[in-house]
Amino acid sequence: MKRVEFKIPEGKLIAAEVIEVDGTLISVKITGDFFMHPESSINDLENTLKGQKITDLDETINTFFKNSKIQLIGLSPKDIIHVIKLSLSN
Amino acid sequence: MTDKWRLIDMRIENAATQMAIDEAIAAARTTENNPNTLRLYRWNPSAVSVGYFQSIMNEVDTEACKKYGVDVVRRITGGGAVFHDYNGEITYSLVAPDDDPKIPEDIISSYRLICDCIIQGLKDLGIDSEFKPINDIIAGGKKISGNAQTRRYGVILQHGTILVDCDVKKIFSVLKVSGVKISDKAIKSAEERVTSLKKIIGSDLTFDEVKYALIKGFENVLNMKLLNGDLTNYENELKEKYLEKYRSPEWVYQR
Repeated sequence: MKRVEFKIPEGKLIAAEVIEVDGTLISVKITGDFFMHPESSINDLENTLKGQKITDLDETINTFFKNSKIQLIGLSPKDIIHVIKLSLSN
Repeated sequence: MTDKWRLIDMRIENAATQMAIDEAIAAARTTENNPNTLRLYRWNPSAVSVGYFQSIMNEVDTEACKKYGVDVVRRITGGGAVFHDYNGEITYSLVAPDDDPKIPEDIISSYRLICDCIIQGLKDLGIDSEFKPINDIIAGGKKISGNAQTRRYGVILQHGTILVDCDVKKIFSVLKVSGVKISDKAIKSAEERVTSLKKIIGSDLTFDEVKYALIKGFENVLNMKLLNGDLTNYENELKEKYLEKYRSPEWVYQR
């Protein structure tokens, strides 16, 4: 499992460590110096991604944030999708 | 009438205790009417605090920390890793209800307001600085203060660091600096990204001088009066509870 970092222009650093088997996400860990309110939402997001098909990644993440009151500071759902895809392509 | 806030003045404690006190003051608000509070404090031994979401193994050289006797703690706030040098840094923390009319609901606006307290304080010392969104204060293009906030327990808790006299080499010997993170900044060396009050002023500066300037900055910008106080009994009880958390490897090494 390789850790892949992405520095968001004018934003924060986000990194992903992803385990994927046959197109399914087994484990996703998101780290970085960003802000997410409430902070515990990161665990909910990581749990939501477990068992999801890679092909459903965009929809899963967009729906997760759309249906919540989570505030992201220094990053967007798009950046989270991007860093996970970067990690998968490594 | 000018509001009265509590000032908890320059407590010197270890990393876990400082973080436990910050959370205790915030959490106490849910069950008792503790006053709006500003704390100014220093860390002994010196310590590294990492943001809630950071990977400790990727951000901190834990071997170097052991070698230098530097504590490592995880904050409840996001943001980046900070080296809290006992000999060169002051930390503040502010706790107020998140519906306080003085505190903007918008998070970036509230960073701007609270950072303005520090900027006004530094002005009093003859230092020009400015807020750099999202959560930094810079002077002469270099970082002099980093800030982080959370909103929970019905309060805003913002804490931050003010570099008084930084040993840049020591900072970067305990923190691992990502090449990716600085890639979009037109600065070659990580050591050129931070400065200190002493470096700018070019003369000796005492912690007391900085402290009084900060107090004035907070009082003026927030239009309140700071009165010396201490933790309530309930806050002390909560502090003991949170101390266990901040000391536990499960919390510190969770990411």
